Amino acid sequence: MREKPKVVILACQQALPDPEPLLQALEAAGLTARAVPEPCSSKIEAFHLLRILAVEADCVRVLACPEDACLLKEGSCRLGRRLKHAQEYLQEIGLEPERLEVTRLNPGEAVDLPRLAADLAGVALTLGLNPGRRRVQEKEPQK
Amino acid sequence: MIVGTRKPLAEIQGMVAGARRLLVAGCDTCVAECVAGGRREVAELSAALMMASRMAGRQVEIREASVDRQCIHEFLLEVVEAAQGAEAVLSLACGAGVQALAARLPHLPVFPALNTQFIGETAERGLWLENCRGCGDCLLGLTGGICPISRCAKSLLNGPCGGAVGGLCEINKAKKFDPEVPCAWLQIYDRLSALGQLERLTVLAPPKDWSRGEAGGPRRVLRPDQRP
Ligand code: SF4
Ligand code: SF4
Repeated sequence: MREKPKVVILACQQALPDPEPLLQALEAAGLTARAVPEPCSSKIEAFHLLRILAVEADCVRVLACPEDACLLKEGSCRLGRRLKHAQEYLQEIGLEPERLEVTRLNPGEAVDLPRLAADLAGVALTLGLNPGRRRVQEKEPQK
Repeated sequence: MIVGTRKPLAEIQGMVAGARRLLVAGCDTCVAECVAGGRREVAELSAALMMASRMAGRQVEIREASVDRQCIHEFLLEVVEAAQGAEAVLSLACGAGVQALAARLPHLPVFPALNTQFIGETAERGLWLENCRGCGDCLLGLTGGICPISRCAKSLLNGPCGGAVGGLCEINKAKKFDPEVPCAWLQIYDRLSALGQLERLTVLAPPKDWSRGEAGGPRRVLRPDQRP
């Protein structure tokens, strides 16, 4: 059976408190998906994004609040800069920067889940498997 | 502190190309402050190298270790231990740290992941400025605490040169700086003025003895009272 692309969602809890329906929609679209709830997108560092890509994901999507609606004022804006830094690394490696992206969702507003899932699935299926990612036959790295 | 910047990934990959087991070693002091070589940057670089090597069809085992100061031998034990079994070490410390680590690992190649830039100050978030050249004969007491050697583009001892425009150094005409470089001698003037010490500017500084700086060959500090 062909391996399904895997998407890891890092979801700011203000932007998307319950990522479960999104995961179900992504799985229905032919992907494997996992969500990591984040207290605020400011907690996400560039190395988290790169590590997730190196270890388990074909695409990573951060769901964050708009920059001017961030609970921690500058958090979402900093996340944007860190994400750009991680994307620059991808360009140096020769991987598509679109494997790491952010979607801004207004906290407290209903999310258009079918649209978000279609967007994510479109990107993940177009990019396909990440050739830099660890595959199952590879050993776990030593700490 | 010492300010460094990461080398391009392709250059780093070229250095460690032959190694199947690699230790990536960070330094959590100066180069962590300038966001180039602390444990976060070690994690970023390790993940990037892992992905790049898989894409090149090679499998590399990467370990990560960071210590507080790679330039001090006592701090290096953890990295030296983590290097057991590695075929190469990639250090994200400044040049002094890379060399101290290499001295402790005589049988392993140790490569620099950073370009060491200068002795500097964190001026603002994300902005580091060179403000000392380690000249060996500090003049700050005469210049109101502003270093003309590192902050004046011509390292003038009796400035300003006359080329400043609107408080800015004329180097801005030759090269793009963001933010623009202020005239260090105008800053010295303003500072001495605020201190009520403008008369200092009437005293001509004599020619400087550069042999006390890097022009004098390898430098060392020997403190007999501190020797073993
Ligand atoms: S090794 Fe270099 S970067 Fe690290 S603490 Fe020493 S001087 Fe600073
Ligand atoms: S005068 Fe010399 S020692 Fe003093 S800050 Fe400038 S370069 Fe450094």
